[in-house]
Amino acid sequence: MTNTIDTSIYAAVTEAIQGEVRRILSEGSVSAVVGYAAARRKGSAQPIVITDAARAEELVFSAACVNNLAVYLTKAKKEIPKTGKIGIVVKGCDLKALVGLMGESQLKREDLYLIGVPCAGVLASTAQPSQELTGDTIAPKCRECDARLPAGCDFVPDQRPVSIELAGKYSAEIARLEAMTPAERWAYWKEQFKKCIKCYACRQVCPFCFCEQCLCDRNKPQMVETTPRPAGNTAWHIVRAMHLAGRCAGCAECERVCPMDIPLNLLNRKMAKELKELYDYEAGFEVREKGPLAMYDEKDDQSFIK
Amino acid sequence: MHHKEKHAFEPKIIAFVCTWCTYAGADLAGTSRMQYPANVRVLKFPCTGRIDPVFILKAFQQGADGVLVSGCHPGDCHYIAGNFHARRRFAAFRKLLEFVGVDLGRLQFSWVSAAEGGKWVEMVTDLTERVRGMGPMREFKELGLEEQWSGAIDTPELREAYDSI
Ligand code: SF4
Ligand code: SF4
Ligand code: SF4
Repeated sequence: MTNTIDTSIYAAVTEAIQGEVRRILSEGSVSAVVGYAAARRKGSAQPIVITDAARAEELVFSAACVNNLAVYLTKAKKEIPKTGKIGIVVKGCDLKALVGLMGESQLKREDLYLIGVPCAGVLASTAQPSQELTGDTIAPKCRECDARLPAGCDFVPDQRPVSIELAGKYSAEIARLEAMTPAERWAYWKEQFKKCIKCYACRQVCPFCFCEQCLCDRNKPQMVETTPRPAGNTAWHIVRAMHLAGRCAGCAECERVCPMDIPLNLLNRKMAKELKELYDYEAGFEVREKGPLAMYDEKDDQSFIK
Repeated sequence: MHHKEKHAFEPKIIAFVCTWCTYAGADLAGTSRMQYPANVRVLKFPCTGRIDPVFILKAFQQGADGVLVSGCHPGDCHYIAGNFHARRRFAAFRKLLEFVGVDLGRLQFSWVSAAEGGKWVEMVTDLTERVRGMGPMREFKELGLEEQWSGAIDTPELREAYDSI
């Protein structure tokens, strides 16, 4: 195929990660490392936590390393950060989630050792893990990536990804929806939302869904119907998008894990776009104490208020 | 027949208001015996900052045809900045509702002070008339009536998987 993406650096990246992890674990500067290891299915990878330098060689990086490992360091998974300084392998998109979590006082920079990955892209959820990375098999988020080289990490392998030009899918789809009439958009989302089975995989995988009790699980009063039916589903998706507005890192994990193929990231990215336009705010680039919806400016636009 | 039906529609308007300014403004309108449409149901909150976007969603789901959110003018908030926070939240929420296909004509935000009984009357009248022209808010109500999960398992991937069995 002509649109093959060069992932030849991943072998050297793997080796560099292994060497660095061996070093930090044996000298004891971190107590554990969250990274990727080969999984059972050919070519696939899965998250792994290692505490023993001898196991560093199990770590890999490949186009199948799709997970955002930041979710393992949130409050919801308390055991891991408690053990001491943690090393974590991060792609640029995943780093944005960590940056957001630091801003929300969920993590402290000094408790982390960041191993950044120079990234040429990962596979879409529809691709097989052993498939070659091409313009057709690459994850949609990678088409619009602005973080191939994570900034501000403690260690980044020397390799540089060859950048490729691919047309953005999310931006095109958002523009397509924006051009519709409200009724057409409602019809589109109704079809999407009614597929939802309320499995909450999107919530479980999201680094920012760390509330100990989710509003959507409360029943006194019940604000969002819990049923996997159209009314409750629509409310769930609107609440979810609203709670992530200005916070979502765009890692697209929610969309990847959705078993019903609901394009969740269209909502998140639309909100990111709006908040950029309204308040010139982009999530994930620097640790900031407050997101756009947790602060205000007296001069904020109020043209919509009479 | 058709004519009669059209006139039978009385929009339900839910107003979420803060207790310090708009509620007092509405009260003033009442004690001054100003006339305004009886379509509005007022819910009083300590501050616009307490009005969660999910309340608006819930109002539409429970049958509101229009929603008014109103509080103190900027600078007059009893809690200093509650309305500034609300302003940002609602600016974002409007964009989200618009993107999922809700006509924003049904949702009005305003600042009405305790002295502005006349403005309250104007806000309620305007929104009621606008929504009357738009007709009933059907979208959320229809979702509520769809009792069964639609089970639309028709993604191309699943189709392919089923076909291959
Ligand atoms: S979005 Fe960027 S950093 Fe993230 S996996 Fe894709 S190419 Fe790598
Ligand atoms: S909402 Fe989705 S894309 Fe955004 S941070 Fe959560 S999992 Fe990632
Ligand atoms: S992962 Fe998909 S199906 Fe499951 S709750 Fe989220 S949107 Fe619904």
